[in-house]
Amino acid sequence: MQVLSRPSSPERPETLVHRLVAQLSRQVLWDSLLLFVPPAAAVVYVLALLFQAAWLSRTGAIVAAIFTLGLGAFAVLLRRPPLLPTVRRAAHLVDQKSGAKDHFLTLATIDPASQPLVLLTRLRLQTEGFLNRIQLRRDFPYKFKSSAYWSLGTSLITVVLFHLLLPIAQSARYGATVQERLRELAQQMAAKPELRGLTKELQTVLSKLDDPKISPQEKQALAQDMERKLNEQQKKEEQKDNRDLLSQAASALDGLEKQQQLASGQDQQKDQQKGGGGIQSNAPQDGQGENKQSQGGSGESKGESAAPSQETMDQGQSAQAKPKEQGQEKNQAGDAKNNQNQPDPNQPGKDPNKEKAGKTEGGAKDGAGKQQASEEPPPQGGPQADRFYKPGEGKEGLATKGYVTVQMPEELVADAKGESRTGKESKNTRARTQVPVSNVPLPAHVPNAPTEKQQVPIEYRGIIR
Amino acid sequence: MEPQQFQQAFRRLEAEVQKVIVGHDDLIRKILIAFFAGGHVLLEGVPGLGKTLLVKSLSQALGMSFKRIQFTPDLMPSDIVGTEVLTEDSGRREFQFKRGPIFAHVVLADEINRATPKTQSAVLEAMEEKQVTVFGDSHILETPFIVLATQNPIELEGTYPLPEAQLDRFFFKLLVTAPAPAELKEILKRTTGTATSEISRVLPEDGGQLVGEMQQLLRQVMIAPPIEDYVVRLVHATQADAVNGGPSKSLVKQYIRYGASPRGAQAIILGAKGNALTENRVHVSYEDIERVLYPALRHRLILNFQAEAENISTDQVIGEVLKHVSRN
Repeated sequence: MQVLSRPSSPERPETLVHRLVAQLSRQVLWDSLLLFVPPAAAVVYVLALLFQAAWLSRTGAIVAAIFTLGLGAFAVLLRRPPLLPTVRRAAHLVDQKSGAKDHFLTLATIDPASQPLVLLTRLRLQTEGFLNRIQLRRDFPYKFKSSAYWSLGTSLITVVLFHLLLPIAQSARYGATVQERLRELAQQMAAKPELRGLTKELQTVLSKLDDPKISPQEKQALAQDMERKLNEQQKKEEQKDNRDLLSQAASALDGLEKQQQLASGQDQQKDQQKGGGGIQSNAPQDGQGENKQSQGGSGESKGESAAPSQETMDQGQSAQAKPKEQGQEKNQAGDAKNNQNQPDPNQPGKDPNKEKAGKTEGGAKDGAGKQQASEEPPPQGGPQADRFYKPGEGKEGLATKGYVTVQMPEELVADAKGESRTGKESKNTRARTQVPVSNVPLPAHVPNAPTEKQQVPIEYRGIIR
Repeated sequence: MEPQQFQQAFRRLEAEVQKVIVGHDDLIRKILIAFFAGGHVLLEGVPGLGKTLLVKSLSQALGMSFKRIQFTPDLMPSDIVGTEVLTEDSGRREFQFKRGPIFAHVVLADEINRATPKTQSAVLEAMEEKQVTVFGDSHILETPFIVLATQNPIELEGTYPLPEAQLDRFFFKLLVTAPAPAELKEILKRTTGTATSEISRVLPEDGGQLVGEMQQLLRQVMIAPPIEDYVVRLVHATQADAVNGGPSKSLVKQYIRYGASPRGAQAIILGAKGNALTENRVHVSYEDIERVLYPALRHRLILNFQAEAENISTDQVIGEVLKHVSRN
């Protein structure tokens, strides 16, 4: 198809081709950036995480980050040139889009000086006829390459994985070594006269951190306080060495703090497992004494974390002995009393009261523990006010409510084997009742009652008859 | 000369030849392209397909001198180029050059493969140099000059296949195929009745000058360097020993004994330029190249024994080359 009419656009075909080259070059740059920037950013973020977790020193992290960014920039520079579009390629693309028969290619690549002017003018006229068919933005839009999506996705996954796994790895790695590292740093700090005061404080904190009598919360507070002091000193310091040293010590303390957080979290989990292991339900039972599970247990441990200590909670009897301190325990004890009239048919001869009291801080319903923990703690040392009880509950515990206690299978196995536990745990286990426990009455046993008769398979009926 | 004038003249020539020749539009176009590119054409086809009529019609339309040489085994070179004969003029005897049939604008070398190699080679110089040498004297041929040779692909007994050197001198090798049923019906209508078609002369009396201008314009047609590169890659890919750019493990390596010569590349580009002009373009496109690739290379690829044994044609090999060589 020949197009000889002069278009309204004053642009020359060669200019259009060169504009396309520039546009495609920018697209290639974007492609390269989208390919390499997400991994580089992910690596920098991971480095920052590692620095925060005291796995890397500040200098190491900065050097690694600079190296990563440099590598990314180098990769972009290395990848781009081979992909840069040539004039030929761009002209070919314009020809394809406009339906021209290599008009743009010829015009953009021939040497005009060596061509007859008449023919060149004619070719230019013909080519300009195709200009109206081309809009660079419309016809050559930027499209995200699949490699960019892959790069972004992989980087995000890496970051998320690091975010999730680093605390675990940190607790595994620094379980014993953070304090050693802090001691080393304290020794190094002791060598600096201007840091001696702070070193003494750090050593005191370290000795307290080693003290098993001090609770994890207190240790965490100590570590926080020391970290704050180190940070303040770091800001004041003028020498770079000292700043680095203080920074490392602060990072290590931060790691230790997290470790303490983790430890207290694990304590809470243990509480939950010990106390809430016996999951209770007040769902009406069919009287078969089956184990039933519900989500009640998880809720209570939150409430219990605000309660004084693990020991008291674990020992049901002692909890009973201190009803004023343990309002919740008291509830459960009362609950157990209510259930006194329903002895466990599977466990004759055992006192269900004791067993249930030992287990059932979880036995209190979801709200009981949660409400106390999150809203307002019950007054310590006195009888609990009525407003802390949920509807249907009172000082006497869960009156008129049916429930079933379920013991976790591993506990049963452990019990059966009599595996080693701490003394307190063993006592608790022994004090616990065997599962299932229910206060729902079983159906009355009628001697000589006709049992359900099994149907004879139809093909045997004739033979048997 | 303007490209439009070229196109007009070309279209009129086509139309005039098509008055007599039914079908074979592409064949007529390619013969005309070869003529304006200054090349010669080898027509291959079984007898009775109108090869001779086609050439005659073309010469009539061009309005130029036409000679036909029927090649036979006893044809001598002097029968083609001419010879010196003793003449007596006013009592003086002298040798005078008697020009042979090669001295015409359009020469039909009918069944060229029936003549001996000695006679065939007499045409070589004429085709390439556009001159003949007799007894040491060179004689310039007519301008424009085109040799249209025909050969029969069957009845090969008693024939002398053209040597590669001579084949290479043909610009295009065109295959004359049997007409389609509709075309055959039209042929019968035109040739078995009383009506006759008169071919009118398209070019003026001094047609040689006009043809020269047209040939000049054809050579001025622009070709982009990437398209030239494409031609180079195509021709190079036909080389059996091509290391770079040759389609490895393909039919080319397997069946080609000798690839295309530089004359092949020249023919492709000139043919493409002619094709571009016929489409009112002043530049060559990739399509033009691909359109003339087969006739330009078909007789320049020498296949090996394995290809002959497996009945592989050069067109198949060229198709394979086209498949393997990318435009960019």
